[in-house]
Amino acid sequence: MKTIPPPCPVPETGPKYWRSLDQLAETPEFRQWAEREFPAGASELTDPFTRRTFVKLMSASFLLAGFGLSGCRKPEEKIYPFSKMPENYVHGQPKYFATARPTRNSAVPLLAKSSDGRPTKLEGNPGHPDSNGSTDAFTQASILNLYDPDRAIRFAQNGNTVDAETALVALQKIASEAKDGTGLCILAEQSSSPSRARLQAALKDKLPQSKWFVHEPVDFDIHREAATRAFGQSVTPYFKLDEASVIVSLDCDFIGSEEDAYINIRRFAKGRKLERPDSSMSRLYSVEPLMTLTGMNADHRLRIPASGVIAIGALLAQEIAGQSDGDLAKAIASLADDKTVGALNDQLKPSDSKSERKWSPDFIKKWAVECAKDLLANRGRSIVLAGYRQPLAVHLLAHALNAALGNIGNTVVFHAAPEPEKGRGIADLAKALTDGEVETLVILGGNPAYTAPADLKWSEAQGKARKNVVRLGYYEDESFPAKGLSLPQAHFLESWGDARTSDGTVVSIQPLIEPLFGGLTDLEVLATLAGFEKTKTAPYDIVRETFKSLGGGGEEAWKQYLHDGFLADSAAKPVTVRLNGSNVASALASAEPVVVPAKDKLEVVFHRDYSVDDGRFNNNGWMQELPDPVTKLTWENVILLSQKTAEDLGLNIVNYENNQLKVPWVQVELDGRTVEGPAWIQPGQADNVIGLALGYGREKTGRVGLNSGYDAGKLRTTKALHCASGAKLKSTGVKHMLSITQDHGSMEGRPIIREATLEEFRKNADFARKMDMEKPPGMVDGSAMKSLYPNPFDEAKKTAHHQWGMSIDLNSCVGCSACMVACQSENNVPIVGKYQVANNREMHWLRLDRYYTGEVEDPQVITQPMLCQHCEAAPCENVCPVNATSHDQEGLNVMTYNRCVGTRYCSNNCPYKVRRFNFFDYNRRTLEQLKGPVYTTPLLHKTEGEWDLARWWRDPDRGTKPTDEWELLKLVKNPDVTVRMRGVMEKCSFCLQRIEGAKIAQKVKAGASGDVTVPEGTIKTACQQACPAEAIVFGNVADPESRVSVLKKQERNYSVLDFLNTKPRTTYLARVRNPNPAMPDAYTRPWSTEEFIKHNENPSEEGGGHAEPAGAEKKGAA
Amino acid sequence: MSDAVAPFEMPPQTGRKQELVVKAPPKALEREPLVTHQRSIGWLSDAIAGVAEGKTPKWWWMAFVPSVTLMTTCFTMILYLMSIGVGVWGPGHPVMWGWAIVNFVWWIGIGHAGTLISAILFLLRQRWRTSINRAAEAMTIFAVMCAGIFPLIHVGRIWFGWWLFPIPNMEGIWPQFRSPLMWDVFAVSTYFTVSVLFWYMGLIPDLAVMRDRSKTFIRKFAYGLFSLGWTGSNRHWSNYEKAYLILAGLSTPLVLSVHSIVSMDFSVSQLPGWHTTIFPPYFVAGAVFSGFGMVLTLLVPLRRLLRLEDIITVRHVELMCKVTLATGSIVGYAYAMEFFIAWYSGNPYERYAFINRATGHYWWAYWTMISCNVLVPQFFWFKKVRTNMIFVFVLSILVNIGMWFERFVIVVISLHREFLPSNWSYFRPTWVDILTYLGTFGLFFTFFLLFLRFVPIIAIAEVKGVTPQADPHHPLGGAKEGGHH
Repeated sequence: MKTIPPPCPVPETGPKYWRSLDQLAETPEFRQWAEREFPAGASELTDPFTRRTFVKLMSASFLLAGFGLSGCRKPEEKIYPFSKMPENYVHGQPKYFATARPTRNSAVPLLAKSSDGRPTKLEGNPGHPDSNGSTDAFTQASILNLYDPDRAIRFAQNGNTVDAETALVALQKIASEAKDGTGLCILAEQSSSPSRARLQAALKDKLPQSKWFVHEPVDFDIHREAATRAFGQSVTPYFKLDEASVIVSLDCDFIGSEEDAYINIRRFAKGRKLERPDSSMSRLYSVEPLMTLTGMNADHRLRIPASGVIAIGALLAQEIAGQSDGDLAKAIASLADDKTVGALNDQLKPSDSKSERKWSPDFIKKWAVECAKDLLANRGRSIVLAGYRQPLAVHLLAHALNAALGNIGNTVVFHAAPEPEKGRGIADLAKALTDGEVETLVILGGNPAYTAPADLKWSEAQGKARKNVVRLGYYEDESFPAKGLSLPQAHFLESWGDARTSDGTVVSIQPLIEPLFGGLTDLEVLATLAGFEKTKTAPYDIVRETFKSLGGGGEEAWKQYLHDGFLADSAAKPVTVRLNGSNVASALASAEPVVVPAKDKLEVVFHRDYSVDDGRFNNNGWMQELPDPVTKLTWENVILLSQKTAEDLGLNIVNYENNQLKVPWVQVELDGRTVEGPAWIQPGQADNVIGLALGYGREKTGRVGLNSGYDAGKLRTTKALHCASGAKLKSTGVKHMLSITQDHGSMEGRPIIREATLEEFRKNADFARKMDMEKPPGMVDGSAMKSLYPNPFDEAKKTAHHQWGMSIDLNSCVGCSACMVACQSENNVPIVGKYQVANNREMHWLRLDRYYTGEVEDPQVITQPMLCQHCEAAPCENVCPVNATSHDQEGLNVMTYNRCVGTRYCSNNCPYKVRRFNFFDYNRRTLEQLKGPVYTTPLLHKTEGEWDLARWWRDPDRGTKPTDEWELLKLVKNPDVTVRMRGVMEKCSFCLQRIEGAKIAQKVKAGASGDVTVPEGTIKTACQQACPAEAIVFGNVADPESRVSVLKKQERNYSVLDFLNTKPRTTYLARVRNPNPAMPDAYTRPWSTEEFIKHNENPSEEGGGHAEPAGAEKKGAA
Repeated sequence: MSDAVAPFEMPPQTGRKQELVVKAPPKALEREPLVTHQRSIGWLSDAIAGVAEGKTPKWWWMAFVPSVTLMTTCFTMILYLMSIGVGVWGPGHPVMWGWAIVNFVWWIGIGHAGTLISAILFLLRQRWRTSINRAAEAMTIFAVMCAGIFPLIHVGRIWFGWWLFPIPNMEGIWPQFRSPLMWDVFAVSTYFTVSVLFWYMGLIPDLAVMRDRSKTFIRKFAYGLFSLGWTGSNRHWSNYEKAYLILAGLSTPLVLSVHSIVSMDFSVSQLPGWHTTIFPPYFVAGAVFSGFGMVLTLLVPLRRLLRLEDIITVRHVELMCKVTLATGSIVGYAYAMEFFIAWYSGNPYERYAFINRATGHYWWAYWTMISCNVLVPQFFWFKKVRTNMIFVFVLSILVNIGMWFERFVIVVISLHREFLPSNWSYFRPTWVDILTYLGTFGLFFTFFLLFLRFVPIIAIAEVKGVTPQADPHHPLGGAKEGGHH
């Protein structure tokens, strides 16, 4: 410790000098003289009643009064000094740590931001070899789970709280009594952790008779299983979508619900980036029963029941691989018999004769043949994918196709993957439990009582363990053992661990915070069970030990590993494989026949929800409020139907767009089991198919997830986990209210999202700008119109160092919604609950607009991220009576929350409607209190036994949230962003806090050099940072070299609502579709463009204002 | 008070005098007098002052109790709103202004008739105004008070409402003078101030009458206090007339400016359906229309209840109907013009906004507006309708309803479907919206009923000036030989 020397006192020793003899004598005369003559006003210092003294006293009392008054406005915050200061710690300066979020069989490498010791934001780790620093919505939201007040916070035995020590002793006792492990069964979730694998092996050594079971309600292991079957080798596939020119998805939602979708999005978007008109882009064919994100982005989409997908695969295979192998050809031919294909084809026939352009008696066949031709033309540069919901046969077909097309080793590579033991699924465990073979059941994570197939009756089975049930769980949920031991699980940000990403790279998981509630990790529990010494069960030691075998024992290597967040060069090496034709043929031969559904024999498709996954994000408010990227519904799941099916079943489902979305509550019956839920029409869904999203309708969940949706899992059986047929649906006569964030699905021919085909783009590169409306006179060449009120910003911007702008590539954006959650996390955006969403009061600063074009049976779907456009001539600014929204000299439209009184005029005048208003104190009210229509008023309400008004008086910040909720939720807030109060307007700030942070850092760095311009790439907005497709680019538009400037110079660049002359700083790059002209459903123009032309050919506009020459040119080109 | 017969004896007519008497115009050309039944000046004083003096009638209590109840409801709703947030009302994306602004504009519009009648008609020497101006001005003041509540309570942080006024503060931030809401603050507060002054000015001679007639000390003291020592001397009258003229001159531009500026709350924005240059004159016409509608609604029953049919005559009602017809037709023209311009502009967003008004989700609001504002006043072409008090009363209420819907159409329909279809949604009021609006009626009628009971509801001094007796050339009037009044 460095000791700071005490301040030097006036030396007492040494010679004393005197000015005169008087001074020496200290006579009163001298003193008086010195005071009068010397330092001016010195006498006042000794006079107690001078003006100066008076002012001093008064200012002190004012200050005191101020202290007293400040109690009314801000709570007092005591800052305690560190008793031991951490090294390099600067108060208020966030730190970043590399870690990872483990997923089912993979992980998301992360850089986690820690603000004064609490994690506040997760970002992808751009250093990771298979990452561009992006993440998915789940990862962005997972930080909220850390601060979930409803998570398991206690150790419990038989439902009673016990202390951690007792619980651990009980666990040790189980371990010591386990002998050889007979009767000990462990049910775990999937994991890619090398440490867990090591402990699993150690456990097997210690307790050889113990049994290990794995359960995942949404299981992606079929990819590995199929690859292993197809190639006769233990391998798992890895898809390089960026290297494919033609992608065929057989019900594979690789953009949305497949594992590691964010990697797929990155690669897919890379293959579709258009820098110039002569750039090439990939083409996506999608065959699917439900409308998925992948289908939304497809150039050609074929809707077909899930069970019929195999027939399309077989049709493709007939064209491509049919001749290669006798057995295989026969198996394939049997799958694509004319009768089945004909029946499927008939399903597509629209009831409405006017839209029959997409149908012919052999439409499906033609579709498949042309698709196959396209694949054949792109041998080695194509890819066929099968989705996890499809049976093994479809996967094998896909592998056979890839093999035949020479894609293996090019667009599809295989990594070695260990094969799990057979017969270790949850069904086997349930049977063992029922047979009484299980003495001790250890459940490591997951929620089997909710997620296990309904036929297993897990809740009952779980209680049949003869001795003990030990459950490590993140929540005290449905699987909470009434009898047995319950251990709280640690969040991944609280625990040590490791994992492998899908490319095989080992990533480290390191804690950013001590476990908030003393939770344990599965590693600790396993180590205890495996009889590790008490000192060796710490997860850190386990992970450190594992690392020795992975990256050597050196301390430097370990530090490097933790610093980087991954082990360099640990990615798996591709394995050379050869298709085992006979395996494929035999599997195809025994494939389930296609069951063409009918209206009284509906097909049910269970799908992983885009918001709550399989239910693990059920209590996460950000995800609950995140609109489903396809349906735009929030807070619950629905029973998805096609329009025709709804009509056939006599259901009247209409969105009257009148804020009262009342839909029929229907009952679905499948094999004697029933569930009830609200029915909803999804355009583009296959007829006679119903889509049920998993993860909702939880019986025991936290205060967020309570009463959200219905439990589709009640219909799921071991045999039909993903698809089932023979369901019946009937209306119950009850109506149910839904909350949707976008009522209107059509763009009404307005050029908001502008599209063209690739062909058109090549001929007519600036097609997007030709859709501009006629500009008011005076700004035709982009020159600014003479304004009545010259914008002061026009002068200021000449001297500013930066001019911020954004470019959003609609051709890359797939609509995954990661940006929305990233923004919510970064900017402290509150959630408002189902009923406030129904009142159109959701607070998302960034939203994804989703439009349908074309017929409801088979629409084209387009999405557009919409956020504050930061208009240079912002309409919101001049109408604000109190100057609360104004421009800074760097072109940002900034909100002064302190100044806002909430007239909401700015929102009315914003043509993009991107401003959000705090109608209530959303941050400080509970969801229950936001329900309406009668809201609790603090004048009459009590919280925790305290009158709300008194509570507010004591601490205005606390609101009416219960203390436990409040204390945790305030930890998740970004300290750099104000938490807005009620009555204040808010909106996207382009992550102003990040901009300012970078500017300050640059100023410090520049020092005397004066180079304060922030270098390109330093600032990434939260949405940009999270975007896997790199669709959002933010930067300095004053720098012509910056990426954003380059993008804005592209031909596809356009502004939304250009004619209003708002001069937005956010511009869009028009979307390009890549249809195959030979396809039976080919189109020469995207349907949104068709709609636009239709609206603009209206004869009433001939010679009118906006029928500009572009329209004529377009007609000429067509 | 006995009816008929003037209290003055006709002076004896000599032959010489007879020659000088102006011949009465033929019956067909004769204008109906502004005070019928040749009521005497004394009768007028008694009749008008009697309203505030006599025993409180039963119907007054029957109106007053519900009014106070409603007013209390209004304040309760405001307290509820303030304690929780604006969210208790209906607005949400994209309709950020709902009933609050509709009500504000509606009440302000109603507040137009008073000053128009008192100032513009005064300057135009429309003598019929004297019977109705006092009540109309009172109505204006109370309507502006009701209107003024809404902009204040509709803001998110009511306790900072004073930031809209240019008051020096420690933040050193001045209001933003480019914002029409800012102009609103000035326009409405000026209008209110001038209206109150004008009204009070006109009241002074009448308050003196009340003072002189008072029998109790308290009344005498209170009326004495407010009549500011009025004695009715020539000097007083001379100053008074000048001041009245000046205030009338000041108020006249305000009549035009207030609603023009209120209309700019909309027309300054760029929203299709709001961004319209026709708004200022159209809003003023609409305001006068609704103001006269409200005056009719109030005075038609009152003249009967208070037995003032001789002062507020059928002719008055007819004249007001004619103004309503004229302004209603202007409003109708404006509606047509809006559609024409929307088509003529060639802007598809503009065009959609107007087609959507007539055929969209809120078609019922639009067609209510058209029928009440354009069709209903057309009945006033017919004298039979204009003179049938029940008809006039019903139609005047329809006019009020229509004008409320006009503001609803402008505010809500324009907002609910604007530029980006992804934002399109619907607005639905909540129970708090409805009760707050109804509550302002309580406030309005409470004040109006109190006004009836304490202040002469007709300008006594002025109305005497339009009686035949006040006309020196009239056989009944003037300082005739041997007498004066």
